[in-house]
Amino acid sequence: MKILLILAWRNLWRNKKRTLITISSVLFAVLLATLFVSMEKGSYERLIDSMVKYSTGYIQIQDILYDEEPSIDHTLLFDEEIEEILNKYEEQIAYHVPRLQNFVLVATENNTRGSILNGIDPELEIKMNDLNEDVVKGEFLKPNDNGLMLAEGLAGILNVTVGDTLVLLGQGFHGSTAAGTYPIRGIVDLKIPDINNNTIYMSLSEAQWFYGTDNRVTSLIIMPENPARTQQLAESLRKVIDPEWHRVLTWEELLEDLLNLMKFDVAGTMVMMMILYIVIAFGLFGTILTMLIERRKEFALLFSLGMKRAQVAIVCFFEALFISMAGVILGIIISIPVVAWFYHHPIPLSGDMAEAIADYGFEPVLPFSADPTIFINQALIVLIISFLIGLFPVYKVFRINIMEAKK
Amino acid sequence: MKTVIKTTNLQKIYNNSVAPVKAVNNISLEFQEGEFTAIVGPSGSGKTTFLNLIGGLDKPTGGEIYIDGTEISTMKESELFDFRLRNIGFVFQSYNLIPVLTAKENVSFIMLLQKRSKAEMEQRATEMLEQVGLSDKLNSRPNQLSGGQQQRVAVARALASKPKFVLADEPTANLDTESAFNLLDIMEKLNKEENITLIFSTHDQRVIERAGRVITLVDGSVSKDEVIS
Repeated sequence: MKILLILAWRNLWRNKKRTLITISSVLFAVLLATLFVSMEKGSYERLIDSMVKYSTGYIQIQDILYDEEPSIDHTLLFDEEIEEILNKYEEQIAYHVPRLQNFVLVATENNTRGSILNGIDPELEIKMNDLNEDVVKGEFLKPNDNGLMLAEGLAGILNVTVGDTLVLLGQGFHGSTAAGTYPIRGIVDLKIPDINNNTIYMSLSEAQWFYGTDNRVTSLIIMPENPARTQQLAESLRKVIDPEWHRVLTWEELLEDLLNLMKFDVAGTMVMMMILYIVIAFGLFGTILTMLIERRKEFALLFSLGMKRAQVAIVCFFEALFISMAGVILGIIISIPVVAWFYHHPIPLSGDMAEAIADYGFEPVLPFSADPTIFINQALIVLIISFLIGLFPVYKVFRINIMEAKK
Repeated sequence: MKTVIKTTNLQKIYNNSVAPVKAVNNISLEFQEGEFTAIVGPSGSGKTTFLNLIGGLDKPTGGEIYIDGTEISTMKESELFDFRLRNIGFVFQSYNLIPVLTAKENVSFIMLLQKRSKAEMEQRATEMLEQVGLSDKLNSRPNQLSGGQQQRVAVARALASKPKFVLADEPTANLDTESAFNLLDIMEKLNKEENITLIFSTHDQRVIERAGRVITLVDGSVSKDEVIS
């Protein structure tokens, strides 16, 4: 085997320029692919982080019917039984955040608008998403506060400010009427335009009183100690939560539409990546093919001397593997610092794109992901491609006619 | 003397689209151990085809080939690879050395495939390269050697593993007179010292004059077989 490795290695350097060009093409392809995937994954990670932080949390416990038909009548009774269950997993659960969310009609003297009323536990909400930092006027809600906090967009539409009073009207639990007047305690900037134009916050206890739901909530958000173990925690909770009445959903299930959209987007990226992989494959294939054609006579000599076809095939296979491995290893070695640099120094955006991203509350930059699987996956994909290309010379070596190759 | 190679009614017919070509036509010959034989004849007379057949590189369309009493024409390809490795040395016209190996590695190559011990390979390769006058070129690659030197390395490689016989296809065709004589001296010397059967095709008069036996082929058949005293 040693002589086969020696032959393969030395054969690579018979035409240094060609080998170096091929290695470079693999290297740049790996570097480009890694950067591309890192950038895409970075953007998705930021979006998902943001959605999990501000909206869904990692896990939600809901009434069994709420996901299909979100209604105040499909709320979950947050009682001692659920508390006890959560206590059993206290080592895995960092904290839980109850929310009561429903539609409401909000009116001033001159304006009326349909909005979403969020009953929140102010302290837990701060823990989850630092919502208090987004207060632009007035103050953040206190526990058991009987006032409101309005999103900045909605305050603008209604032309109201801190200290004004709003009339709320909605459908309460089991068809009762929910109505009341509430003073505005604070204005909060929620960044995402759609949410910013129709959101009202109220303390959970006041919202439960308003809708007449007692201790009911529309969702109980569970924040795990280790977000990486979300799936396992959800599975454990599913085993102990009564499936007839309750449902445990992970953020992946809650954000299914968004994730499907991302998958669709990833499919587009995959087409780009496939083109890149095809370019690598053809570059490598071209080199291997040239090496095969120009050495036909040499193969005939090796066969004449008594070298077996399998041995010659192994030499050719090693050559393909060495080239691609050198390209992949160098590509990864160069990619790591480049991705790390972009991870710590995201590309700043400018112009309309920067404004659009800033409108959604994100920093106007292209974030990169430093997930190690990106490097491993790229390395594996290119190695699989080169493995498949390496099979071609094996096939050809087994088909060489010694007498024809000798000529 | 012991018969190393024996062919009986050996035939190789190429079925061209126009008409079948009898490259080797009913050749029955015997080669004895230690013989130094030249196969001569004009181009297209079947010299190379005959060497390819007895070297197990090509399959005959008729007749038999016995090497040391073993019929090789019916062997499978994989058996022939192994048979060549263990029994036959080759020297080709255009200095067929492995370009990425040094002279010493080239000479050791067959022994390496035969899985001989490192010490034996080392000793034998050095010894053979000394015998062909290249003890100062052990670590030179083929592209650092002249044509004559490369051919001497090829001869050293063919003989190093002590095969039953060596086939040389026009070994001096690309060499100048001095290199050709030098190579012939070496081949003659090794033939005598190692008692290895040497068969070479040639139309080089310088080679023919040195042979102990000259077989002339015409149109694939033996037209003359003479032993030179």
